[in-house]
Amino acid sequence: MSQGTEGAGGEVSAASTAVAASPSRAAVRWRWRGAGEAGSPYLLAAFLLGAYALPFVVGLSAGTVRLDSTWFANLVSVLLGGVMQGGVYAMFALGLTLIFGVMRIINAAHGEMVMMGAYLTWVCFFRLGLDPLLSLALTLPLAFLFGMAVQKLLLDAVVGQPELTALLVTFGLGLVMIYTAELIFTTDFRTIPYAPGALQLTSTIAVGQNRLISFVMAVAISTGVYLFLKLARIGKAVRATALNAEVAMVCGIDVQKIYLLTTGLAAALAVAGGALVSIQFGFNPETGVVYTLQAFAIIILGGRGHYVGALIGGVMLAVLENLVSLMVPNGTAMVELAAYGLMICVLLIRPGGLMGVKEA
Amino acid sequence: MNTSPIRTLGGVLVALLTLGVGPAAANHRPNNEVLVGGAISQTGQYAEPAGRQANSIKLWVDEVNGRGGLLGHKIVLRLLDDKSDTQTAIKLYEKLITEDKVDLVLGPYSSGITEAVANVIERYKMPFVAYGASALPIWEKGRRYIFNIVAVAEDYQKGAVHLAKQIGVTKLAIIGQDSLFPRQVAKGAKDWAQKLGMTVVLDENYPAKQTDFNALLQKVRAAGAEAVISNSYFADSAAQLRQMREQNITFKLYSSTVGPSLPNFPEQLGNTAEYVLGFSQWEPLPQILKHPGMKEYIEAYEKRFGEKPNYHAGATYGALQVTEAGVKRAGSFEGEKLREALATVEVQTVFGHYKVDAKGMNSHEGLTFQILKGQRRVVWPEKWAEAKPELPMPEWSKR
Repeated sequence: MSQGTEGAGGEVSAASTAVAASPSRAAVRWRWRGAGEAGSPYLLAAFLLGAYALPFVVGLSAGTVRLDSTWFANLVSVLLGGVMQGGVYAMFALGLTLIFGVMRIINAAHGEMVMMGAYLTWVCFFRLGLDPLLSLALTLPLAFLFGMAVQKLLLDAVVGQPELTALLVTFGLGLVMIYTAELIFTTDFRTIPYAPGALQLTSTIAVGQNRLISFVMAVAISTGVYLFLKLARIGKAVRATALNAEVAMVCGIDVQKIYLLTTGLAAALAVAGGALVSIQFGFNPETGVVYTLQAFAIIILGGRGHYVGALIGGVMLAVLENLVSLMVPNGTAMVELAAYGLMICVLLIRPGGLMGVKEA
Repeated sequence: MNTSPIRTLGGVLVALLTLGVGPAAANHRPNNEVLVGGAISQTGQYAEPAGRQANSIKLWVDEVNGRGGLLGHKIVLRLLDDKSDTQTAIKLYEKLITEDKVDLVLGPYSSGITEAVANVIERYKMPFVAYGASALPIWEKGRRYIFNIVAVAEDYQKGAVHLAKQIGVTKLAIIGQDSLFPRQVAKGAKDWAQKLGMTVVLDENYPAKQTDFNALLQKVRAAGAEAVISNSYFADSAAQLRQMREQNITFKLYSSTVGPSLPNFPEQLGNTAEYVLGFSQWEPLPQILKHPGMKEYIEAYEKRFGEKPNYHAGATYGALQVTEAGVKRAGSFEGEKLREALATVEVQTVFGHYKVDAKGMNSHEGLTFQILKGQRRVVWPEKWAEAKPELPMPEWSKR
């Protein structure tokens, strides 16, 4: 997988170091290439193999792994669940990574945008009687406009400033969004009873209809955004800006416009993520924080500014969490330990994240 | 991060304005008023139940002021926000007692926060009736100034375990969020299961922000559990039910501690919530519980807040009635005298009977209900049962 995606999104990850191409950065990058490149893929592969095998080993010794047909059915359900979960998380992580890649801004309000998406969908469902998927046609343009407004009013002022400034601004935005949502919707938990039934695959394996719908939508939207960045003229301009904003400007790209587009797109991805989350889980104005953390862990694991990395990171985290939960005794209490342990170890081996090491 | 001092300042200014005095006169009990204060979670993860408690507090304050105040003093309420955070709560109670010099303290929400705040009130000898805490260990540390009114966590699943026994369940799974209250509930459920001769085949906790229960549910099924005792709040219990349905896993009984008792649970989940058991300290059912004053309280609450009070609201109102009776009996707001009064007074509240033992424990009996056709119907104990429990739960395709 590390070679096959060479051209996929490596450009943006390169941008994450290239934009601030100070001598010391360049030196670090060079060292990765020189010292790390040869050994690290094998070390990484060995580590990942070990990490994913560990729950099985523990399960075997504890007797929760039984190798009969019921157990395999459980395993398949859990793996399927993990992949579907990861796909949805990866989609809104994509928005976070997009903003970071283009503007080097960490959007601490990203989870709140997810929460906003969940509430918009809720309003459409309970007040307007709209199908959650149809309501995307209404909420995504709204989200896009919201993102552009955020860019115009807040982020334009902090692009190029020290990273902490942008972090504080977006953190403040997140708080404003939380308390606005509390004013309008109170702190009551909500959820949307949409497509609650099961889709029976075999007599013992079933997947939720809402999960499948969410996953398919997430994949479709992610692919759409990816193709847009890859093929469309303006998508290429976004990537060029991510590579080097100054050179892009010299080449005649309106960088301000690209910033607007990026944040609009990121907000739309977050709101779409919120819609898909709202038909699966309960949410209240405070749940955004959880999703910010989740998206953050995913893009750090996958490689900051890397689109395919976000997808892989999302699926990897969710699958590992599920394996630990299924097989390790009292493992569900340890899923966070497993997830963040994985993240830290991957970073130790490859400081740029799974896909972040490759340079353009 | 800066909101707390600003908000506090705002609170002080508002208080000063309502007192009609300048900053210089902000000393103890001006204009024959009495300052009642507490910190309760208006934001953060506990904001929903704590918000309903705050409703009851406001209602009670206005009612007391309407009938001439506490011992003739008009109540001025100072309700701060602990943001569902234990450390913030400790700081705010220190501030309320030492800086604001409140005459009477009100309790916070959640067992964890109450446990921490109990140390503060113990130090300053300012008693309260803990309407927001139900973990038994709080009263097992020899504390003298904290009084219990609600049923303890250990008994939340008592009814569900008894009902499981009635329908012939022998294997139970106990799952729950990894925090103080759910762990205490789990401990009680295990004890009850043992007493009734049932086996706990799986006992597992999950982190507070867990949303995906697919793997855990598969594990529960693989362990051979017939019934699931889930010590959960809204989001986790809703996710568990939806994911059971998504994976078409049927148990004979599923019981959750907090989620199903929240008013919007059946509405938000639709028929996925059907047949679920839940626990309630209290329900707004005057014709069944027959506690004095219930009808009037429920009407007043509904008129003001647009919904019937739930048990968080009911317990708070009951605790405040006890406090009022205690203050009257003590004839003073002095901490030691009030403590004596709260330890000995016997009150019939809208919430039930209050009379504590030497440890400060009341013996409140809770209710187990089942969601039937979108309504919570009390099914246990039998003396208060509104409906016959419909168990075992039917398969998902028949709900």
